Amino acid sequence: MTDDILAIETLERRAKRREERRDFFRTLGAMAAFGSAGFAASSQSALAQSAPSDGDILNFALNLEYLEANFYSYAVFGTPIDTKYTSGSGNAGTATGGRKVNFTDPVVAQYAKEIAQDEIAHVDFLRKNLGTAAVAQPAIDVGTDPNGAFSSAARAAGLIGGGASFDPYSSDENFLLGAFIFEDVGVTAYKGAAPLITSKTYLEAAAGILAVEAYHAGLVRTSLYRKGIATPALIDATEAISDARDSLDGSSDLDQGIANIGDASNIVPLDANGLAYSRTTGQVLNIAYLTNMATARGGFFPNGVNGTINMSAAN
Amino acid sequence: MKDDLMLEAFEARARRRDQRRGFLRAAGSMAVVAAGASLLSACDDDDDSPAPTPTPTPTPTPTPTVTDGDVLNFALNLEYLEAQFYYFAAFGSGLPSGILGGAGTQGAVTGGRQVAFTDPLIARYAREIAADERAHVEFLRGAIGTTAVAQPAIDIGSDATGAFSAAAQAAGLIPAGQSFDPYASDENFLLGAFIFEDVGVTAYKGASPLITNKTFLEAAAGILAAEAYHAALVRTVLYGKGVDTPSLRTSADKISDARDSLDGASDKDQGISPSGGASNIVPTDADGIAYSRSTGEVLNIVYLTKLAAQKGGFFPNGLNGSLNSSMAQ
Repeated sequence: MTDDILAIETLERRAKRREERRDFFRTLGAMAAFGSAGFAASSQSALAQSAPSDGDILNFALNLEYLEANFYSYAVFGTPIDTKYTSGSGNAGTATGGRKVNFTDPVVAQYAKEIAQDEIAHVDFLRKNLGTAAVAQPAIDVGTDPNGAFSSAARAAGLIGGGASFDPYSSDENFLLGAFIFEDVGVTAYKGAAPLITSKTYLEAAAGILAVEAYHAGLVRTSLYRKGIATPALIDATEAISDARDSLDGSSDLDQGIANIGDASNIVPLDANGLAYSRTTGQVLNIAYLTNMATARGGFFPNGVNGTINMSAAN
Repeated sequence: MKDDLMLEAFEARARRRDQRRGFLRAAGSMAVVAAGASLLSACDDDDDSPAPTPTPTPTPTPTPTVTDGDVLNFALNLEYLEAQFYYFAAFGSGLPSGILGGAGTQGAVTGGRQVAFTDPLIARYAREIAADERAHVEFLRGAIGTTAVAQPAIDIGSDATGAFSAAAQAAGLIPAGQSFDPYASDENFLLGAFIFEDVGVTAYKGASPLITNKTFLEAAAGILAAEAYHAALVRTVLYGKGVDTPSLRTSADKISDARDSLDGASDKDQGISPSGGASNIVPTDADGIAYSRSTGEVLNIVYLTKLAAQKGGFFPNGLNGSLNSSMAQ
């Protein structure tokens, strides 16, 4: 293949995303008009409508970290996270249904253990910073029941038929797909929340967790892509899961699978500007609750998340 | 066995406890700067001590010595470097000249060339990252507007006295006087990419509290995420190939150590070799959080110097813009 064709494909890839790029600059223009001239002006006034507190946002993040930490903890250690990490305000619940994965590829087992340690550290870090304001771990469904969250998500993606169950603990591949369901969502959640955080110290810490979630997502996507050479169904599955997420969180495209675009891989889900996507807290809960409606519970959180930010968006 | 695994997990965390205390100390000192009790007062290593009711108090922005434009222009210089490296490696040519002009002294790129990839997956990764980094250049130029800086002179060659070779010599990958050619093979390309990627993550994270405009903050968070995805891609591939070629893992570890030797006493960098049964794809502190570097620390690495300097290494004539000095370490 010639360099010219490669260059053209690269340009086509970017052209496909041009509309999203225009959206950003439209927003930017509107914000410049809203504030005083130039980008040096603060645009914080645009966010003034009943902004949540930093504590609200960190607690929202803590709920998501409880979910991720328990999934990986089950997969690696065969147990949920230690109960010393689960107390707090709100309705305390347990994480049910997970089990240890009998990994066949030792490299995947090493990845799983690393991510489990990181996610438990995030729970610990957020709880320590929230202090007595930390919310309790809510009820979490990481089980394999046909009516459970993983199976519902897999069914919505078309990976399994009606009444069947999806077991993310049954193989290396299923574990990676289970991880794929969460990881990009964490990135978009932290990015979407970044402008809402007022404390500079917390902002930088949240940026650090955002980065780690992106590293995790990059790890999972790269592993699936590599295994997808021998097992193309894995790549198709990521596209299906991505489409399912997109069908829940509203009309704009905030998600991408890992299938090639032209002659380039697509490990990194980005808009035309090369920026990762954002999701609002409501959009994140659309995915975690597995619903496109406004509700306070469902999916991976059968009783909802704890804290003031607990409603999914109506899409 | 399960207990062993749990124990190892906790040992790994315990090893990083010093770094954790570093964060808490930093948070503590910021709380002193801020008025009154804040959420930070709940920062305590002891789970059981009763924490004051944490009503989050907005921490006042530290005296703004730099503008958003300064920070974004600093980032733009780094994106020029990354984009040119990947563009040459993937396509054999540099960025189009129409996206290189601007304030300051425009410079040329020396030394890049196309990699003859043997693994088609690595070629696809290179093309993906090249397109992403070009998008970052164009995005930042558009966002900054007329005050965007020009591309400075960039050295991405394989000359024995050039930046890549100097970095590889400092890391002990090759002896003094020899050259390191990141375009010679898939493996060398990945190690060349490894030299940059984690640094971009720490640079954007370190700069995040300096940005005042919320729209730009969110955009910068989006670039931070993209750089972390890239870094994970490169680290995951090196780790995977390291099963058959262990020197790839140890080379990455050595590059990490070399970076750490340049940017001051605190440990802000990690290689990829496993410990306690876990991989180390993600460089994090004991809290599971990515590291930050100040702009001066980032320039220590790209200028390849421990000294306060305005140029060197990958930027022979220095960065364009007001943030152009490395730190004295």
